[in-house]
Amino acid sequence: MAQTIDKLEQIHIGKKGAAPIAAPGWTANAADGVKLVDCDVHHNYRQPEDLLPYLPKFYQEHLLDQGLHLPGSGYANSPYRRTRTDLKDPELKEREFNFSLEFTQKELLDRWNIDFALLTGPPTFYAYAGLPDPDWAAALCTAFNDYTIEHWLGRDPRVVNAILLAPNDPALAVKEIHRLAQRKDTVAVMMPMLTPHLYGKRVYHPIWEACAEHDLPVVSHIGGDSPGSTPTPAGFPSYYMESRMTRPCLASAQAASLICEGVFEVFPNLKFAMIEVQQMWAAPLMWHMDADWKAIGDQTPWLKRLPSEYFREHIRVGTQPMHEPPKSEQIYQMLEMLRADETLVFCTDFPHWDWNDPVTVLPKLDEHRRRRIFAENALDMLRITDDMIEAVVA
Amino acid sequence: MRRIIVGKADEIPAGGRKIIVPFRGRAGIGIFNVKGKFYALRNICPHKRGPLCTGEVGGRSRAQAPPSVTGGFVGFEREGEILRCPWHAWLFDIATGKCLVDPNLRVKTYPIIVDGDDLIVDVEVSDFIAEG
Repeated sequence: MAQTIDKLEQIHIGKKGAAPIAAPGWTANAADGVKLVDCDVHHNYRQPEDLLPYLPKFYQEHLLDQGLHLPGSGYANSPYRRTRTDLKDPELKEREFNFSLEFTQKELLDRWNIDFALLTGPPTFYAYAGLPDPDWAAALCTAFNDYTIEHWLGRDPRVVNAILLAPNDPALAVKEIHRLAQRKDTVAVMMPMLTPHLYGKRVYHPIWEACAEHDLPVVSHIGGDSPGSTPTPAGFPSYYMESRMTRPCLASAQAASLICEGVFEVFPNLKFAMIEVQQMWAAPLMWHMDADWKAIGDQTPWLKRLPSEYFREHIRVGTQPMHEPPKSEQIYQMLEMLRADETLVFCTDFPHWDWNDPVTVLPKLDEHRRRRIFAENALDMLRITDDMIEAVVA
Repeated sequence: MRRIIVGKADEIPAGGRKIIVPFRGRAGIGIFNVKGKFYALRNICPHKRGPLCTGEVGGRSRAQAPPSVTGGFVGFEREGEILRCPWHAWLFDIATGKCLVDPNLRVKTYPIIVDGDDLIVDVEVSDFIAEG
């Protein structure tokens, strides 16, 4: 005999929240302190015109007349149909869809009990780094930062911000840091990883100097692609998957540049996180650099310590996307090699298709690594003060 | 085993779906109509426990050889028969529950019958407890 259930509960895609009714939640007790810090939460404007109130008249005309004209390279962004379709209104045509604080609170912070979420902006927007006009790039960053302040910040103590910076003209980036550094919710700066010059080059040192002055870490997310910046020295890969495989090469080059140019000798309190570029490349990079330093370190005698020591003290890598080797225990061996208890910070990449949830990403961590990776490494890096922590755990 | 009326057959047209939660606080079941046949799948992805049944229904691309050999032709097949998980985009065969990108995985399927106007599914109650 079939049973009829009155008022059968129903799930509606992209409208009332389509995640499982009982999401496998992170059942942290608030009194236990900060348990979960997410270093990569993508927020967005609904349409480019949302930036108009934050642009000078000259650039308002620019946007209305020409649009953003961001120079995308064709595959840098997550494919439209493969953002998290469980959360997206099927009618929506835009790629990005995290338009509001309320949506982020409901679908990310509350559902997964996240203590701090670092806003990193939309990767589709990071192409400002490839704009030929440095003033337009800087104006877009300023407008986006002000849009974020008005629509996202100051209403939830869990939400903290990485201000967007354009590397196009370092002097303008420095100006933006000084403009927003006094805000408590500015806890980092974000620069896309595909830049016209490697990060260790002295053209960028004024930016690092300003970050160090304000104790702000740099969170560098993959992106910034443009027709002029090839992801590999041998040009452009044909396919999106291929382009994703170039990310660890770029991140390795940026990390080696920062170390070899002595950036961390000059700015001893600077921290630098590399996000959505995978992470395990860092272990062999540290080994290779240490071996070379012993052999040919007299070519860079300003490096007073092993390269791995600079890495472990100053550079952080994000968890997402996490590898899924055929033998799952191998991931924990790799974490050991990576010194993950010092170098790894948790990232969801919400709300993209390749996001990692906090429960299934690394389910078998010991308690020490779990605390370090999911909370303490990020708290040590981001400019989050004790009173901000109290406001969250109280 | 419980036998549950999940709705009326004409509620779900070909190509459509309905996701129901028969037991409060537990994961749901997706009922799919693929070209006139009904299928019922557990709404938990066996990969990372995402809400599988909320994903896109479509087909998949197909190529016998790389584009350098075929002159660039890429085909498409099984339109309307394949479900793509909204988390991580893995593909599943709606009719069998088999994961098309990892042969070791399949999502649980449930027997479904049409009795008059009623769609009836046999479910295991224990399947719907969300794993912590």
